[in-house]
Amino acid sequence: MTAWHFFKHLNCTPALQLIRSSAFSLSRYSSSLFFVSIHTTAPDQWPPRAQIKNAHANSSTPSSSSLAVQSMASPVPVPANYVSVLLRCNKDISDMLAEALLSFGASSVTMNEDDVCPGTDEICVSSIFLEGEDINTSISYAADSIGLKEIPRYEVKILEEDDWMKGAQESFHPVEVTEGLWVVPKWTTPPDSQATNVILNPGLAFGTGDHPTTKLCLLLLHDCIKGGEYILDYGTGTGILAIAALKFGASFAVGVDIDSQAIASASQNATLNNIGPDKLQLHLIASQTSSSSRDEWPFSVVEGKNASEIETVTHKEKYDLVIANILLTPLLNLAHQIIFSAKPGAIIGLSGILSEQVENVLQNYSPFLEGIEVSKMDDWACVSGRKRKNIGIC
Amino acid sequence: MAAKEILTRRPVAATIKLTVPAGGARPAPPVGPALGQYRLNLMAFCKDFNARTQKYKPDTPMAVSITAFKDNTFEFTVKSPSVTWYLKKAAGIESGSGRPGHVTASTLSLKHVYEIAKVKQNDHYLQNMSLEAITKSIIGTANSMGIHIVRDLD
Repeated sequence: MTAWHFFKHLNCTPALQLIRSSAFSLSRYSSSLFFVSIHTTAPDQWPPRAQIKNAHANSSTPSSSSLAVQSMASPVPVPANYVSVLLRCNKDISDMLAEALLSFGASSVTMNEDDVCPGTDEICVSSIFLEGEDINTSISYAADSIGLKEIPRYEVKILEEDDWMKGAQESFHPVEVTEGLWVVPKWTTPPDSQATNVILNPGLAFGTGDHPTTKLCLLLLHDCIKGGEYILDYGTGTGILAIAALKFGASFAVGVDIDSQAIASASQNATLNNIGPDKLQLHLIASQTSSSSRDEWPFSVVEGKNASEIETVTHKEKYDLVIANILLTPLLNLAHQIIFSAKPGAIIGLSGILSEQVENVLQNYSPFLEGIEVSKMDDWACVSGRKRKNIGIC
Repeated sequence: MAAKEILTRRPVAATIKLTVPAGGARPAPPVGPALGQYRLNLMAFCKDFNARTQKYKPDTPMAVSITAFKDNTFEFTVKSPSVTWYLKKAAGIESGSGRPGHVTASTLSLKHVYEIAKVKQNDHYLQNMSLEAITKSIIGTANSMGIHIVRDLD
């Protein structure tokens, strides 16, 4: 596939324009070669599996950029073009300047504790701007709005998205959730080879075994699964719960999520744990709740598949155990689907909720569940119960 | 910085400020780059932030202030948008009046103000104020923006 399709529509010069227009920073970047990360202009399209890195561009003739395109097999998020701006300003006004920058187009502002310049009252404030923002204008408006007489000196650095993605992944270590159950990153050897080890490469999906809600759900699965069950994992993320359930002896699991990155991560993790499509199926569904409309879609829509697939995924009374580690609002909105898909007497586990939100969940689910238990860890809770046998839901 | 007062004695690496839509934190800009550079657990932040902002209408821009500690742990506080943001949204206008007191930008009813007050009461720095006091403060802000508050809109 040619990368030119991306670049015909892209204005690939925003980074170049701001370099030309900012008066101060060019001495460091006067060489004509630099690296930019480019992203497509349609952020809601799932990009084809290629990531564009290392575009060498000559600052005077941006149209003659040549590109190296690498394709990656692992889940690829939309590459983002963004810029880090380092400003110096007086310590007293740093807070105000931060707020002002945020109002005028910065996507985030960071004050590093160690960057207090010795001997002066100045402190370094770094700010991230996304592609398309006119940095010079934003900074001058921000400075103006707090009454500074002149624009503070600043430096511009272009950042690769890999910088932050790598940083985010570094926080994943092997976790012993309970005795005999470990969740291990793909790049580490399991500390206990005899234990049940769930191997994961999380990418940018949720579920590494570290979070209290994941642990609560894993413990619930560990206690409840006897063998041979059909599992539904709503909001599967990395697939950790579905995969663990299969390792505990369940015979078949279905994982659904509204995030395509989650499905990509989960399918990779299934392979890492030698689980094939005969044991685990993953489905991408569209989010039911859109922020603008209060009109509920009658059912989630399976992307690219026809309506009868929905029935297959959340089939009436098909599952012995339904686990949903999401958030309060989707749990309430999906209550019908969650109950509907469980067999009478099946176990239903709900998490991703704070302790203070348990009451709300109980109010909505207690008509349908019996034997309700609430387990807690830190500020988080998991509500579980069995579906009542005689409910008149069709 | 206000966040410092409630900190434990862990050494602070940085303070990060950004705006994130309620319930909409994702491991992508603006959250990704801002937190990733300090090796913070992105997914844990997203889960935590999203859970704590469930009570707000989705996509409401929340002002977040994150304190990143040197051991890669973090704490954060969340503030709902400013009263001016809510008033502009309720009135459907982009900016307040250029001449408040003389030129009215828009009109809102007490019911709007009351709804805004109920949301703002969730902000922890306002928890000690009575609903009535918050409402009065909002009316004051509305007046300074040239938004006229009436008892009932017909």
